[in-house]
Amino acid sequence: MNRSELIIQIIALATLTIACVLVWVVTTEVFHVEGEILSVPMGIDSGSDLIDRLYSMIPLLCVAMLLSIAFAFYIEEWLSETTWYYRIINQQISILANIPSLIYGILVICIFLFQVKEFLNFTLVLAIVFLVVPVIIRTTQSAIRGVDLSVREAAYALGANRWQVITDHVFPRAFPKITGGIFTVISRVLAIAALLIIVCELRTSIIQDVSSYEISSDVFVLISLALLSCVLSSFLQINRNS
Amino acid sequence: MENKIEISDLKVYYGDKQALNGISLDVYPNEILGIIGPAQSGKTTLLKVINRTLEFTQDFSVEGSVKLDGVDIYSIGDVHALRRRIGMVLPLPVGLPLSIYDNVAFAPRTSGLRDKAELDVIVERCLTQAALWDEVKDRLDSLGTKLSGGQQQRLTIARALSHQPEILCLDEFSIAVDPITTMRIEDVLKDLKNEMTILLVTNLVQQAKRLANRTAFMLNGDLIEIDDTDVIFSENPAEKSTYDYVNGNFG
Repeated sequence: MNRSELIIQIIALATLTIACVLVWVVTTEVFHVEGEILSVPMGIDSGSDLIDRLYSMIPLLCVAMLLSIAFAFYIEEWLSETTWYYRIINQQISILANIPSLIYGILVICIFLFQVKEFLNFTLVLAIVFLVVPVIIRTTQSAIRGVDLSVREAAYALGANRWQVITDHVFPRAFPKITGGIFTVISRVLAIAALLIIVCELRTSIIQDVSSYEISSDVFVLISLALLSCVLSSFLQINRNS
Repeated sequence: MENKIEISDLKVYYGDKQALNGISLDVYPNEILGIIGPAQSGKTTLLKVINRTLEFTQDFSVEGSVKLDGVDIYSIGDVHALRRRIGMVLPLPVGLPLSIYDNVAFAPRTSGLRDKAELDVIVERCLTQAALWDEVKDRLDSLGTKLSGGQQQRLTIARALSHQPEILCLDEFSIAVDPITTMRIEDVLKDLKNEMTILLVTNLVQQAKRLANRTAFMLNGDLIEIDDTDVIFSENPAEKSTYDYVNGNFG
């Protein structure tokens, strides 16, 4: 391992450590103010309110996905793999993409619900960005790398420029796997949404009576949709010869 | 008569490893230049330098000069225009994931040709030249990758011809092709010689003997000898290693 490699590893580890400390501090803070949690006004009273807000996030979700795909193409096709910033970006994206989505859910609840004490749309925006962007970038990257070098060479040898090679050959070949990545992300988002709805509804029902709480049908719908998109995504990401 | 390609003191390094140790050779217009030599002798590298696809390899460096019609190819700004002047056929067929028609029409389209009638003419001409037209004329819309290995290789030849290159580089084209098809392609190459210059890299020394006007023998990144094919394959070429290789004593 050479020196630059070592520095990159250290930076990656440092970010991870900072993230861990942040989570730890926030969660202990929250447990500390446990008594207050239930009386904090959230601005959201039921799960269906939350679902309405989630609907309003769909355009954002689409934009985030498109930008991530574009960014993945940029770093794979334009940045040289030997540069230090390529490796740092890669390392960071890997770390972010591997964090379980539950962590993001907890972070949303902890930081914003209880610390900011108001359920802002900004909360959802941030959660969606962290959930969506790294995973889409990662799957798009691996889809692009899965395209044979020989296909590129053949296309370049015919005089195509970089843009033509990407639009005519790399993108069509990578497309099934990119769609697979999109479904992975959709399933992550739906699962977290289901979790948030349960939290919201539990909160209101605890105040009244815990035993009267029933999981709403919205949650079941979200969870089954999440499972469905999981299956779809693994189906799409299976290696197939075109 | 001016030389088509002039290569002088060409050195190529992959990282620390030197792949070509200072090669100088000239290619005449409208000839078939056979390039023979065992594996690792730098034949493919030479072709990749000429059409500048070596640039996709990490960590390479090139010294010396390669001139195409008197112009140094590394001073040409538009590398895509350069590559359109050079047709390249790789050892294993690379079917672009497109229909047969689109495979051949790809290069003309990249240079901006959109007229369907003109494209039809080009596709038919190239497929005919590559001895494939009769087999595929009824199914031009099916996927190029669904053809058999030999057919795919002829498709790549048709594709390489589609932008009417001045130079055609063939890199061991007959590896994936059966002998009968190979003979048919060789006949095609003899005709094509009138229109373009052909660089034929081959592992089959007999193929170079059948086709080439002149033959170059390369070994471990050195150009050992270049001369008329008759001389190379005669009893007394200038270098003994040439004689040994051609007659199967090594390699």
